[in-house]
Amino acid sequence: MSIAHKETTMETRITTTTAARPTAVTSPGGGPRRGVNREGLEAGKRSTRTILWILLAASLVLYGFPFVYLLLTSFKTPIDTIAVPPTILPKEWTVVNYMNALGRGGVVASIINSVQTAVISTLLSLLLAVPAAYGITRYKTLSGRVFIMAALVTRMVPPVAIGIPLASMMASVGMSDTPIALAIAHTTISLPLSIWLMSSFFEAVPRDLEEAATVDGCSRLGALWRVVVPVVSGGIAVTAIFAFLASWNEFLFALLMTAIRSQTTPVVIANFQTQFGLDWGSMTALAAVYSIPVILLTLLLQRKIVAGMTLGAVKG
Amino acid sequence: MRITDRRFALYLMTPAALFLAVFVAYPLFRLVADSFFKISPIVGGPRDFVGLDNYVRAFTDEAFIGAGWRTLAYTLVVVTLEFALGLGMALLFTTLGNKSQIWRTVFLYPLMIAPIVAGLLWKFLMIDNFGLIGTLLTQIGILHNPNQIGWLSDPGIVLFSVAIPDIWLTTSFMCLVLFAGLQNIPGDLIEAARLDGARSASLLFRIILPLLRPVIAVALVVRGIDAARAFDTILIQTNGGPQSASETMSLLIYRTMIRFGDPGLASAMGTLYLLAMLGIAFVAVATIWRPGKDN
Repeated sequence: MSIAHKETTMETRITTTTAARPTAVTSPGGGPRRGVNREGLEAGKRSTRTILWILLAASLVLYGFPFVYLLLTSFKTPIDTIAVPPTILPKEWTVVNYMNALGRGGVVASIINSVQTAVISTLLSLLLAVPAAYGITRYKTLSGRVFIMAALVTRMVPPVAIGIPLASMMASVGMSDTPIALAIAHTTISLPLSIWLMSSFFEAVPRDLEEAATVDGCSRLGALWRVVVPVVSGGIAVTAIFAFLASWNEFLFALLMTAIRSQTTPVVIANFQTQFGLDWGSMTALAAVYSIPVILLTLLLQRKIVAGMTLGAVKG
Repeated sequence: MRITDRRFALYLMTPAALFLAVFVAYPLFRLVADSFFKISPIVGGPRDFVGLDNYVRAFTDEAFIGAGWRTLAYTLVVVTLEFALGLGMALLFTTLGNKSQIWRTVFLYPLMIAPIVAGLLWKFLMIDNFGLIGTLLTQIGILHNPNQIGWLSDPGIVLFSVAIPDIWLTTSFMCLVLFAGLQNIPGDLIEAARLDGARSASLLFRIILPLLRPVIAVALVVRGIDAARAFDTILIQTNGGPQSASETMSLLIYRTMIRFGDPGLASAMGTLYLLAMLGIAFVAVATIWRPGKDN
């Protein structure tokens, strides 16, 4: 299918470093088309628009409510959390759940593990995906096409199928229960996605750019590193966020491959349920602590993320 | 000495290819190999070649067949509802135009939440006695008492209940992708159809959806694969219960491997599961996408 960002003019792509960010995907291709599209699908009548806004507000309230309820619950007293009938607002606001959750042994350590694992996995993913995607998109060789198909097929592999063999492989080289082992496992998830995303971003870089660089005496590797990588830095940032989120939120590999030492927070959250009975208060507090930083981070970087997500999927 | 472009490209791909070979292809090979053995769960225990015995056991196992159907039903429910809701939201955002941009962002937030947290949150909302949903539905008069619907305890409906967090988490993704697709539909086409007197419904089914076909194909396949692998949300909500009514394939394989300690059988199940996914994905891509028939 035609991707709008291909239509953006070359000048805009070269002049800004974030040019490879395909914001054009979320807004229609060129300037003139946007105007036409507005008349096309956008609702014209004032009354219709009012109804649509009300509909949107209602959907957003419904859609947003579950997480708001999680936050509100985390500020209730432990007894209040399981009161019958439940109330939406806390009767008495307290941070006791947060004290309980963070004070519990292993919880803070698990957050550190999560950060470590996600950072290692993100770096590994980028280190492998950036050159591979460049090789695929710049030199359209047969091996490149085979490789990107193979990378897509790995997306279908259920983690439950390779988790156990992976764990025993790590054990045989003395790396079981380490953040590095888990980071490698997480990279099997994020690498295909990263290659896919980075390929789309490289696709948008004009070929003349590194041809000019090689003429000026740069090696191909030098051209990639000094000319192309700075141009796609926006795309690399998007890919990094996706790799980070994939690792941060992953549960099954973490469950299969870690014991106490390198356990990440999702496993700890799940264990609250069995180990300590049903401590809903602490669970909601820890879930909030774990989710809010990434929600804020991604909302801050939302434009880039939206572009990346759309590109990854629309590109196909 | 200058290496050829082709070779240079190959060198660039080699590290990633090696990584995937060692950490995905090799474990997969081990999985398939293990499926022909009867393996003791004890480390260093006996390992006997049994041929296709594990496959025969899988196919004669009611749990396996049941989990297969449940996985299919779960995936269809998740993907259908997500698609309907996502398309609805995408159309809503499109008809409202650029002023809705900030709300589009807000709508994305569940994508950042860990599935395990989403599962936990919805379990808390639907749980018997102190679940909020039952209480609210009673207060507005739809239910007679808060426990009338046992969202997570009634085997008849539990498979749908455990799908809710998954739908909640990724409707945003559907919406986002379809929204981007909608932006690429030329406005004059819509204009022309309107002038010809096309009503909204026929505009949607005759013009918009056919034009979105490639985007829809990718979105459905990507989400279908993810939904068929769902594990976290179901594990934390019901652990496959009650009476295995929400036990999908991932959960069954996990339990066979870990709880029942039968790696051979679990590997055979895993191999069949992967083959089924590959098969369905290819059929789906071929039928929905119909590459080459651009109309």
